[in-house]
Amino acid sequence: MIELNDVSYSYEGIPALKRVSLRIEKGESVALMGVNGSGKSTLLKLLNGIIFPDTGEYLFGGESITQKKMQDAVFSKHFHQRVGFVFQNSDTQLFCSDVYDEIAFGPRQMGMEETEVEKRVEDCLALLSIQNFRHRQPYHLSGGEKKKVAIACVLALNPEVLVFDEPLNGLDPRTRRWFVSFLIQLHKAGKTLISSTHDLEMVQEIATRAVLFDEKHTVAADKPAQELLEDIDLLKKVNLIDEFYHKHPGAGHQHFHIHPF
Amino acid sequence: MPEWLLKDENYQPLPDRDTFIDKSILSLLRILSRIRAQSGYTGGKHSVHAVYKVACTFLLIVLLSVSRNIWFLAAVGAYLLAALSLMSADRIIRVIKAGLIISFFSFLILLPAFLMGNRYSPVMIPLKTLATVTAVGILSHTTGWHAVTGALKSFFIPDIFIFVLDITIKYIVMLGELSLDLFYSLKLRSVGKNVEKYSSLSGIAGTMFLKSKEMAEDMYSAMECRGFTGSYRVRRRFRFTPADFLYIVVHILLITIFVYLG
Repeated sequence: MIELNDVSYSYEGIPALKRVSLRIEKGESVALMGVNGSGKSTLLKLLNGIIFPDTGEYLFGGESITQKKMQDAVFSKHFHQRVGFVFQNSDTQLFCSDVYDEIAFGPRQMGMEETEVEKRVEDCLALLSIQNFRHRQPYHLSGGEKKKVAIACVLALNPEVLVFDEPLNGLDPRTRRWFVSFLIQLHKAGKTLISSTHDLEMVQEIATRAVLFDEKHTVAADKPAQELLEDIDLLKKVNLIDEFYHKHPGAGHQHFHIHPF
Repeated sequence: MPEWLLKDENYQPLPDRDTFIDKSILSLLRILSRIRAQSGYTGGKHSVHAVYKVACTFLLIVLLSVSRNIWFLAAVGAYLLAALSLMSADRIIRVIKAGLIISFFSFLILLPAFLMGNRYSPVMIPLKTLATVTAVGILSHTTGWHAVTGALKSFFIPDIFIFVLDITIKYIVMLGELSLDLFYSLKLRSVGKNVEKYSSLSGIAGTMFLKSKEMAEDMYSAMECRGFTGSYRVRRRFRFTPADFLYIVVHILLITIFVYLG
């Protein structure tokens, strides 16, 4: 479904991605891991057609995604309907007067009847447990609530691929747990998920595959998530963890963690 | 999960005219990359200190506006060309482009005077404009914003004024990045025909306003927590280098030419 061949990108001469090759199949849940500044967010922008590779090729559904092609409004709109992007900062995603209009923004543009729009909005509100916010102004919601509204806006478009940039940042533990189970549900529903994250616990729970970026902006590893999380030496080498990261053998429920000092 | 979410969407978008989003994104990107490039410029260890650059550029502008001698103008032109030749090609193009555009407009304004037989002003004033804009362009393309604002300290500009200037530049970048993300988001969510384009734009403007208000309040609280009482000290670091010496010598030479030519 998604194919990157030898893709490089730089910001005014400063490299952000170097010769990245990646293939993501429909229905996969892929976690992009790496330290800050390793190129994860740049890759997400590239996957969403916001920026374009300096060299290399990006294919979506077998079609090459280029700047020229994205200038074709119909192609670009169809592409954006198929790939939904949830920004790290939800504030940047919300610009309508209330939550209902915010979620209805996409379906209305898709030319749906108002009854169908209403059904879709109500479904999204229920799915994200935000029915009570229907008439609230998005700007006055809390961080977790804004995140839920931002996800609802993207879900209302029913994209095939959902891209999340650091989805757990700034969320309280309860909302984080809710969010992890929500992503699992979405994955089970057949959606292709791509999430960039530092949260190794989240990777363990939601991702079937993990792609690790190093500080040189290249792909250091692309493996099944569990296998990559077990590769402690590699995670240390890319500076994602320190020497205190471990798990206890023999315990019933096993996960990696650190002990507070 | 609702049923519609389990199926692939069968949707073919209708064409819509929304190039304003792309144009807004492009112009924001252009402004941000210019500010970033300008702020990040350090000039290396052989560069001239910002204080001398600001002082000499100011002096040059005064001399240019006072002088009525074409040879002095030629001497300044030669110096500016030499200074330009030390810059990268894209910067040279940007500086000269700005200078030519502005001097062309000043020539247009003076065209009636030229047609009425005044041969002096329509030539001198656009040339002076070209030299002045080029001098300021060279300063702004070779000196970071913070170095320029810091240099103001040497001219007895109050610290609080310098502080406000610094903060303004910082927040132009931060709010610019926020508005860029808002436009990206609008583009990504504009998957069909938007009949209320202007209400989306007013939504973006509203969000920007609220965010800037929030940032201002946060900054006020943060400054209070850090014990800010209204005084702000800008630290000056001076180390006279051979480049500074050469730069001052060239400008003394230009002053000498100005005095000699009257």
